[in-house]
Amino acid sequence: MIVTVLQWGTLAVCALVALARIPSARRGENRPVFYILLLLMVAILLSIEEPYQVIDRFLGGINLANVVLRFVVFAAVFFLGLQIAKGFGAEDARRFLTGKVGIGVAVLSSAVVIGLFLMMDTAGSSAGLVDVAAKSARNRALVEYYGAAGRLYPAFVLLALLPAMVRTVRSRLPLIIRGSAVSMAVGSAATALSLGFPLIPPGFGCWRFVINYTGILCLVLGLVLIWAGRLAARRLPRPPAGGAVP
Amino acid sequence: MPLPAKAFQHWLHSVAPATSTADICRIAGIKRTTLAQQLVRGKVAEATLVSISRALGLNPVDGLAGFESYAGLRDTSRPPTQAELVSQIATTDLLRAVIARTGGGEATATLSPAPHATSVRNWVDAIDDGDVRHRVSAATGIARQNFSAQLTANRLAPELAVATSRAAGVGLAGGLVATGLITEAEAGWAPGARQAALEALSDGELATLAGDRLQALGKTLRRQEQEQAQTEKIWENLG
Repeated sequence: MIVTVLQWGTLAVCALVALARIPSARRGENRPVFYILLLLMVAILLSIEEPYQVIDRFLGGINLANVVLRFVVFAAVFFLGLQIAKGFGAEDARRFLTGKVGIGVAVLSSAVVIGLFLMMDTAGSSAGLVDVAAKSARNRALVEYYGAAGRLYPAFVLLALLPAMVRTVRSRLPLIIRGSAVSMAVGSAATALSLGFPLIPPGFGCWRFVINYTGILCLVLGLVLIWAGRLAARRLPRPPAGGAVP
Repeated sequence: MPLPAKAFQHWLHSVAPATSTADICRIAGIKRTTLAQQLVRGKVAEATLVSISRALGLNPVDGLAGFESYAGLRDTSRPPTQAELVSQIATTDLLRAVIARTGGGEATATLSPAPHATSVRNWVDAIDDGDVRHRVSAATGIARQNFSAQLTANRLAPELAVATSRAAGVGLAGGLVATGLITEAEAGWAPGARQAALEALSDGELATLAGDRLQALGKTLRRQEQEQAQTEKIWENLG
């Protein structure tokens, strides 16, 4: 129940935010953020059972949609990471993510995802590969590693940006920006926590969903806050901080 | 602590026994709900008493001095120090004085009234023997960074202003002038006292002081510009 609400709720939030941004995206304002929201929307859509079934059947019913989902997430996180690094002035993090190490981790995660997928018996559409894992012990292990590889890159990117977010939280920038940085930092921490999913005892599986969707929601909320702050700032120019101008 | 509501009502009754609360609020320009809320919470802001005193044609310092935490406020045996007086001159007035003395612009115009844009920090610096912040935080329990933050925002809670005066051993009203709660005249500062203090500065002292003020101003402005640039960058990339 809570899982369904979280999934559809997050999808609705993403869709609403993306929809609200259409006018500004058409004016050419900050299109990357709009595209990131679209990618996140597709990713959420592909993690929900019903739409997954439809799309995967269209792609041949061998769970190719799950691989698409992994790469959509990679792309969304990569571009989101770049925007956050640029916005928060984290030139070091930007160079790290686009440098040898950053691209290396992206390639490695992708290669492992594809390799493990090819090793599985993937017939029969199933969101989250639940039915695939249930086929055999070998498949169960492969799905677990496959999932881990898929979570590795997002966690890596967001962890690399965590210092910049914390820096922004502790800065003296406008409150709404610092609030947004808090939200993004929580989202990033949640995403990093997802690396520990194999440690969650069976029977508490819904925690996986809670952590995942908390992460996405917090990241999107961060974007919304900054956007709202920008709109507000445009309407009423900010008074000088500190009031030290004579 | 702001003023206790009971003592405040006692004071109000003594200064305006026949006036209704509604009338008091109207002539003092305070919202009725604001006063009501302060009374319900049991703590009345000093600024409320100041507004009411002024509206009744009374000196707010007399009113404040009747409260326990402001006892001694009326004590005229300790006039403001020269440094305190100079600290309450706006930076632009100091610069104008520098130019006038070096033979430039017009003779000294009248000083703009206290407080000015950095008057609180300048006042604390003027009475600080190097350890006063420490003593204030020991006496009141306020964390030093919170005290600092108030100075940066050019604010200081009235009870802290008085505590700071006490810790520095100067007249108690100085901080209330620097924060703009009361005027120089209400504090009992002689008219023209700031002007006289300014004239008493040697050329060298004046130039150094003006230089210090300019440097501090430059630092603040640069920080603001930097923050503005950071904010713009965030709007641009993530907004």
